[in-house]
Amino acid sequence: MAHVHLQDGSFSLFWVVVWWAAALVLIGVSLLILRSRKTDQKKITVAAFCTAAAFAVFQVSIPIFGGVHLTLTPLIGILTGPLTGSLVVLIVNILSAAIGHGGYGLIGANTLINIVEVSVGYAVFRLSKPLMPGLFPRAGIATVLGLLCGNVAMILIILVSGIQGVSQDMSAVLGGLSLIAAINMGVAVVEAFITGLIIAYIGKVRPDMLGSGGP
Amino acid sequence: MSQAIISPHIPDLDLITVYAQRQDTWFSGVSPWTKFAGLFLIVLLVTLTKNLLVCISLYVVVLLVYAASDLPVRKLFSWYLIPVLFVLSLVGIMAWTEPGVPLFTLDLGIFPLTLTDAGAMLVVTLLLKALISVTYSLFFLMTTRYQYFSAMISRIFPSPLDQIFLMAYRFLFLTLSMIGAMMKAIRSRGGGIVRSLRVQGRIFAEVFALVFIRSFDRAERVSRAMISRGYQGKLEAATDIPRPGLSGYGTIAVSLMAIVLIASFVPDQWGLVW
Repeated sequence: MAHVHLQDGSFSLFWVVVWWAAALVLIGVSLLILRSRKTDQKKITVAAFCTAAAFAVFQVSIPIFGGVHLTLTPLIGILTGPLTGSLVVLIVNILSAAIGHGGYGLIGANTLINIVEVSVGYAVFRLSKPLMPGLFPRAGIATVLGLLCGNVAMILIILVSGIQGVSQDMSAVLGGLSLIAAINMGVAVVEAFITGLIIAYIGKVRPDMLGSGGP
Repeated sequence: MSQAIISPHIPDLDLITVYAQRQDTWFSGVSPWTKFAGLFLIVLLVTLTKNLLVCISLYVVVLLVYAASDLPVRKLFSWYLIPVLFVLSLVGIMAWTEPGVPLFTLDLGIFPLTLTDAGAMLVVTLLLKALISVTYSLFFLMTTRYQYFSAMISRIFPSPLDQIFLMAYRFLFLTLSMIGAMMKAIRSRGGGIVRSLRVQGRIFAEVFALVFIRSFDRAERVSRAMISRGYQGKLEAATDIPRPGLSGYGTIAVSLMAIVLIASFVPDQWGLVW
């Protein structure tokens, strides 16, 4: 998963406001579309359970490479779609900030990154169905691409915002960020493998959960 | 089932709720809106200042408030692990390339890594900022009753975001309990032992898949039950939230003025950033 691995006070007030505003605009658009479609009550309940499941899964440390945590954002996109998924990731980020995983000021930036992951994961999973009918490779590739785009978004956000107190030039910052992105992509491979297995399992047990993207 | 079974370093929501419902300290009686404003002001201050002394003072004050609320300090320190790792995972790398007066050099053979005074200061300041925010956030969670939180969510967020949030918070305890039971079952069968990526991945993928499938099953059942009881997409949290008293408004106003003064006049090593 990609996440701005920074806490409150890392970005200047200007950039905190900018990323929060950008995230709220996207969330507002999602809300407007969902309201215009008259979202049924069941979808709200399912989104709530998905939020709880995503947050709970994030709490588990998997004993691979010394322990990794997964946010499964592309999986959220595949299961709930980008509109509901964007609401889910906002709530997961707020809950995460409440327990110290990312700052409150960084919720905007993190939500933007997660929306990218959710949207790309969803789009790749759906669009690649004619090319790749197998659920495992399709979900795995959708996850890798979703997380890759999320990492690019993370690097861009940090490069544009800068980190308060860091006085080194952009190339040095980019070097550090590239190292983080490389580590993130290592974790992304683990996440892709696990997401592929989850989707393959869901495809066997509850194919209706995958909607038109299913087998 | 306690969330501690999942990880001892992640704040235990069950324990947080127990403290929040206990309501036997002075801070529990403070208006939730005053404490919420406090959170906003603290995030604002740590965003505006880079002064190490301000950060140290604020951390000490927040930690004293936390301890005075009779909240578990040792647990708090164990919960610091994740935010500390988060700061170190990025800034810990950048600290070695920060220009400044060299403190010491690590010779890695291919290239030397030099830690400067500015690099060390960067890590310390951002760590303190992270801990201030986390400590106050946990204090807020552990001194405010659930019904006030749900009422605040209901008033702050638009529909259907508030509905998803309110239901997710309720479902969270069920889901955490479910995942905790599965983790216990895995560990009791030797699943916690590190093996290959394929074996480990498959075990955890099945756990996570089951969590999502059971969540969907529950969502469908809960949805049908709610609709049969008249739910039409609006779950109201009708609890009255105590409004800030005169002292509450006074504290907020004084704190805001203090932040403006600190941001305007307190000099620091790197200057203040607006």
